[in-house]
This record gives sequence, structure tokens and C-alpha cells, in this order.
Amino acid sequence: MWQAMIPPTSAVVAALHRAAPESRVMTSPAQMAGYASDGLGYKSFRPDLVVIPSNADELAQVIGVLHMAGVPICLRGGGTSLSGGPVAAQGGAIVHTSKLRAIREISQDGLWCEVESGVNLRQLDDALQPSGLCYPPDPSSGPVCTIGGNVASNAGGAHCFRYGVTSNYVLGLEVVLLDGSTHRFGGPAGGNGPWLEDWKRLLIGSEGTLGAFTRFWLRLTPRPEKLWAFRATYPDLQSAERAIHGLVRHPAFPVAIELMDPRAVALVETSSMAVGLPKDHFLIVTEIDGPAALVDLRVESVAEVLRSAGSADVLFSDKAEDRDNLFKARKAIGGLLGQVSQDFLVQDAVIPKRALANVLQLIYDEADRAGIPAVTVMHAGDGNLHPNFLFDSRVPQELKKVEGISKRLIQRVVEVGGALSGEHGIGNDKSAYMPWVFGPESLRMQLAVPQAFNPRHQFNPMKVFQERRFAA
Amino acid sequence: MNVLTGERLFEPFMDPVDGVVCLPAETNAAGVDKQAAPAGWRFPLWLDHGLPLRDQVRSSSHAPASSRFGPYGDNITGMNWLRPDGKTVRVGERVVKSTTGYDLLRFLLESGERYGRPLDYVLRLRPLCDTSCVWHLRGERASLSRAALAVLHSSWIHWLESFDGIVDGQTSSLRAAAHCPSEEVETFEGYLAGMAEEHGLEIEASASAVFPAVGLPDFVLKTTVDRAFQTAFDLSANPGVQCVALCSNGVVLGYVADPGSILELLQPLETDLHAQGGDWRSRHGTDRIAASPESGWIATLGKEWKAAI
Repeated sequence: MWQAMIPPTSAVVAALHRAAPESRVMTSPAQMAGYASDGLGYKSFRPDLVVIPSNADELAQVIGVLHMAGVPICLRGGGTSLSGGPVAAQGGAIVHTSKLRAIREISQDGLWCEVESGVNLRQLDDALQPSGLCYPPDPSSGPVCTIGGNVASNAGGAHCFRYGVTSNYVLGLEVVLLDGSTHRFGGPAGGNGPWLEDWKRLLIGSEGTLGAFTRFWLRLTPRPEKLWAFRATYPDLQSAERAIHGLVRHPAFPVAIELMDPRAVALVETSSMAVGLPKDHFLIVTEIDGPAALVDLRVESVAEVLRSAGSADVLFSDKAEDRDNLFKARKAIGGLLGQVSQDFLVQDAVIPKRALANVLQLIYDEADRAGIPAVTVMHAGDGNLHPNFLFDSRVPQELKKVEGISKRLIQRVVEVGGALSGEHGIGNDKSAYMPWVFGPESLRMQLAVPQAFNPRHQFNPMKVFQERRFAA
Repeated sequence: MNVLTGERLFEPFMDPVDGVVCLPAETNAAGVDKQAAPAGWRFPLWLDHGLPLRDQVRSSSHAPASSRFGPYGDNITGMNWLRPDGKTVRVGERVVKSTTGYDLLRFLLESGERYGRPLDYVLRLRPLCDTSCVWHLRGERASLSRAALAVLHSSWIHWLESFDGIVDGQTSSLRAAAHCPSEEVETFEGYLAGMAEEHGLEIEASASAVFPAVGLPDFVLKTTVDRAFQTAFDLSANPGVQCVALCSNGVVLGYVADPGSILELLQPLETDLHAQGGDWRSRHGTDRIAASPESGWIATLGKEWKAAI
């Protein structure tokens, strides 16, 4: 592991106590162990210290102290990242935003809310329920992941095919830069404010490499009046792909188009989350929403798209319980993988949908050849693949095999014109592949961004681009 | 395209499965339709059907159809970008979703071509239906404002192609547009007629209308969604000023008889706008310059991106 040259931790701790007396500072090995990894549990980077600022002002003080002390700084929310993002890859400090949990304002008329960075999605949804408004991005880790983490990785979820990802909903943000100064970019109106440029565009999805988020202004939208959920089974990948192509161009503009492969369906159906899904088939789950008068008109034509692609088993329902069961089953996959396998690695590539069967077949062939179980789910409307490779990092060679499969998968993704990540971010898991998508000039343009805000890469070093190493 | 080595650029393409097309930035609506329509797709964000898309993106972040589909930045997924040093780089993707590196795409789209200019756009297309309809609702301003708020808070707002307040001197109206299968027109009309009745408004429909385009605005003002209509009222009280409020985006497109009056018109609003995180810009220019620390960030990007700042 690369380690930065940092001053003795005790001196840093003392400085933090002086500057931010209400904040919690931890250094014991047992406490550090809890912050050593994210959702990719097999990659572990133990920090030297963890700070939990009591509020945004103290967070700014903490950043200022760590900056002056030359300590690498990694922000962390719920720790549910699946890309190795919120971990101390170069040692140093984790700054945990768990105390920044206030929902400051909900503007019913203005359709926006102001939240602190440590608010989690379930907390926000509960608060919005009485208003009839919602915040649509819905990553599977919603009950625990934070808005700060969502903005840092530009998170998506099952319903972003129509509703869009986090960046579509951030009207403004407040950020602490490396020198401890606090700046606000945008606000309820979602424009630039007094700034000439729209700097929030560079900060959203920056994976903690430019600054520390403290609060956000988020766009809200009316909750749909009515929803219809559909499920359809397909005997093979080709007919499932036909259904996806048909749904994508349907004027009902489905909210979500999700694909689960037979292995994913079997995983759910052999668990306590079983909802009676037919096994041994590819499963498409889709949903339409809108005003009842409009959406009811569209139900039969959506079902016909699913049937005409080759499904003999199309079910649909407007009952909340049926819909909730379907999406619970879909979203349970990540947790279930953790139960059945010591470790798993999930990829997050986005591919043109014409290449779906081609790329999925590569995954199955490579995984089967290596003897590595692979379970694939997909936000199919967006072409966003989530193949999960199950392995045991304690068994020699298994991780190497999984990384080899991932490498060949990403090569294929780039060849067909895809993107490395759709919603998880690059972290330290995919940074080795970045030169495949950014040539020398594009890479220079990318690296100009931290050059402006964080030139020595003190914020979250060794993430996104491998060139980003902090030298104290 | 050099895959895995060297610089990648977008080549012209039309993907009828994903509904994405790569075209020169100078293409106009007819040029996009020629590629997209035969495959059953369309690109809805037009301020002017005859002008190049690049001019429209440069003049405004939003068009009327942004009500349903968001700003240009959500509908342009990639571009070939010509830097001032003559080098072309690819920015963004051909897929509609990506979090792969810093989002230079949206930043550059909003930067007013300070760091170069687009050569080609990759556009996210939408399904082409057989019918476009436009409805105008007319009545007292207070009633129009209440009706606008009600529509914004209903789930119909996701399905209206655009929902705009048109304010011109003493007259004002709400304009709703839909692009849908013909069998759904009656349902849209039923909803809007009910809304008109509830708020004491008159409704007039024009079926199979050409989708609304309003021309390049002289200025664009960004405020909160609940203030946009009122701001349009206030601004249009000035002689020679007409406004279109894109209600669900909080955007006011302004048209003035004398572009020289824009500064005088909008500067008094700046403090309040900035407090809300709003702003204004004009294709005729503004007198704003960057202060520290922004000037330093712009200089760094300009140096690294070979732009003459």
C-alpha cells in the first residue's frame, strides 16, 4: 500500500481537538477496522484516524487542520460504495459525515429541499411523504446510503431510466475546499448564483476528490398518481433483449426496465426474500407511472411489447404490494450475495443496448471457464450492467481470476462504445481502466480539474485516476 | 475510433436501438429529423427549428421541451470538442448514463464556449409519436398562476412536453403541449379542460400543431420554479419585453426590442437571484468578470485546456 508521509497522529489529534472541540476523533485499531473498507469488503485500507465532525462549521475546521498537517483526507457517508471510493487508500484520515443529518427545509411550492450531506435516502423519503413530493434517485442501498455519497458518485438506481440520476436533481451544493474555505454553488434556483461558471457540474460525481460536501439543494418532483408494475420471463437472452429494445422506444416511457438473469432469480427464490418468481428464465421487471387516466390507457400496449418479444408469462399489477415485492426482490440481490459468498465484485459498465446479449455471453463464458459464479442484474433501460462475480479472497488465485474476467469485460465494453461506470463511480476499483477511455489529451483535460481545486491530490488520493497520488 | 489506445473521437452514427445519434453541432432540426425520424425517434429540444443546434445550446441551457426532458445537458450525452489549440477531444459518452471521470460535458456545455467549441453532438433521442397538440389557457393572471402551480404539483407535469407561461405586455397565457399517440389526445385535453374550468380559464386547442419553438432568447434568467411565472410578469411590464416562463424549470426566456437595455433590466434583480442560486445570461454578452477564487480556477482550466482566457 502507498503511504503518505504524515506527521505523528497524536499531534494531528491534538490539533483537531483544539480546532473542532465538539467533534469525535478516533484512532484505536478496533475503531479503524470499521472504516477500512466499503461495499467491496475484500479490499481493505486502514485509516490512521477517523473524525466525525459535529457540524458543517467544525467539518471546515477539520479539513483546514488536516490540510495544514499534510494528511490525506477521505470523506465518507454510509460507506456503501461499490467501487472502493470512501476508503483511505493512501492512509490518513477518514472524515465521516454521520452527524450532518439535518433536513433543513422542504419547499412545497418551490419543489426543492435543503439537506445536509449525511442525510440518507430513506430519511429523506420519510420526510417528503406528507408533501406528496419525492426525490427519485433510488440506489439499492437507499436505506443507509447518504445524499453526500450519492452526489459524490452520481448515484442512480432502478428508476433512473426515466427520472434520471443524481446529477439531474442537484440544484446547488455547499462544499469545503482544501484550505477550509466554504463555498456555495447554485441553490434552490439551480443556476450559477454569483459564479461565472457552473462549478457544481464538476463537483457532482467527483468522488470526493475536490472537496467535502456539507449540504445540498435538491429538486423534488410530484409523486406519481398511479403505477403499474410488470414482470415477464424469457427463455433466452435474445428474446429478453428484444423486449428491452421494445420498451425503450415505447411512448409510455417506462420508469424502470430491469433485467435479472436466471442465476439472480434463483438466488432470490432460494432466500427468505422469495416472491414466487419463475426460475430458470431471464426476468424483466418494468414499471410505468403517471396520472391514472393516462397510465391506465397504456397498460395493455406495454404488456403486448413484453409478449411479442417472446414471453408467455407476462403479469402486471397496480397493487402496491405486488410492485413492492418485485422491486424488493430486485434490490435484495446485493445483500443476498453477501450471504452466499465470502466476497463479491460487482461491475457497473454501461453498454449500447444492441450489444447486450454479446456482452452478457462474454461474462458467462469467462466466468464459467474460470469456475467463478456470476450473477447478473441490469438497469437494462440504460444499458447499465451489474455482473456480480462471487469468490473467496482467502483462496489463492480467486481474486486474480475475478480481476482477469473484469479486465476482459471492460475491454469488451470499451470496444462496443460503452462507459466504465454508470452509477458506482471509478474509485480505486476501476482506475486502472481509465487510460482505455481517456487518451493523453482527454486525460490532461480531466486532470486539470483537480489541478484547480486539489492540486496535490490530498482529497481522496489514488481514486478515479491512478495518477492522483498525494505527496505531502 | 482508436479503442484502448490513443485519443477516441465520436464518428457520425445513428443507433436506432438506443435512440442516439451523432451529428455535426451545426445541424438544425430538419437535419436531425432526417436521421432520427425514419427510425422512429426525434430530438425535442428546439428553440428555433431553422438554426443550428449549437447556436441554441449557446444561447440557453433550456428549451420549451426541457419541461419534460430537462436541459440540453441532460439530452446531449457526448461531443467532439475543438480546443483553441486546434486539437479535438472527445467529451462524454454515447451511452445515456455515465459516471466516469469529471463531468466536463455539462460544464463545457454551460461555459459559453470559453474553452473551445463543439464540433459534433451525441444526442439522446425520444420516441416519435403520431400527434403533437398545443393548448392555450387564458384568463386573469392570478388564476393563471394558481393553475400553473396546480399543474406543477400534479403527475401530469411529467407528461406535458412543455408547460410555459407566455407573457407579452398586457396579455398572458399558459401554453401546454403534448407529443403522444393520437388515442391519448382526448385524455390530455380532458385534464387541461378540467384545470381550465377549475381556475376560470378559457382553453383553446390546436391539434397536430407544430411543436412550439420560441426563437433564440435575448436573455435567459434562472430562478426557482415558483417564481418563474411572476418574474416573467414583472419583466414584461417593461416596454418592449416579452417573456416565456418555462414553469417546471424555473427558467424565463426573455425577448427584448433593444438588446442594449438588458443590463439595465436585469442588474437590479441580481442580488435576489444570486441569493436563490439563480443567474441570468445573454447571448449579447454581460459585463460580468470572475473574481477570486473563481478567476484562479478559470485560469488553471484555461491553461491546461489550451484556451485563451
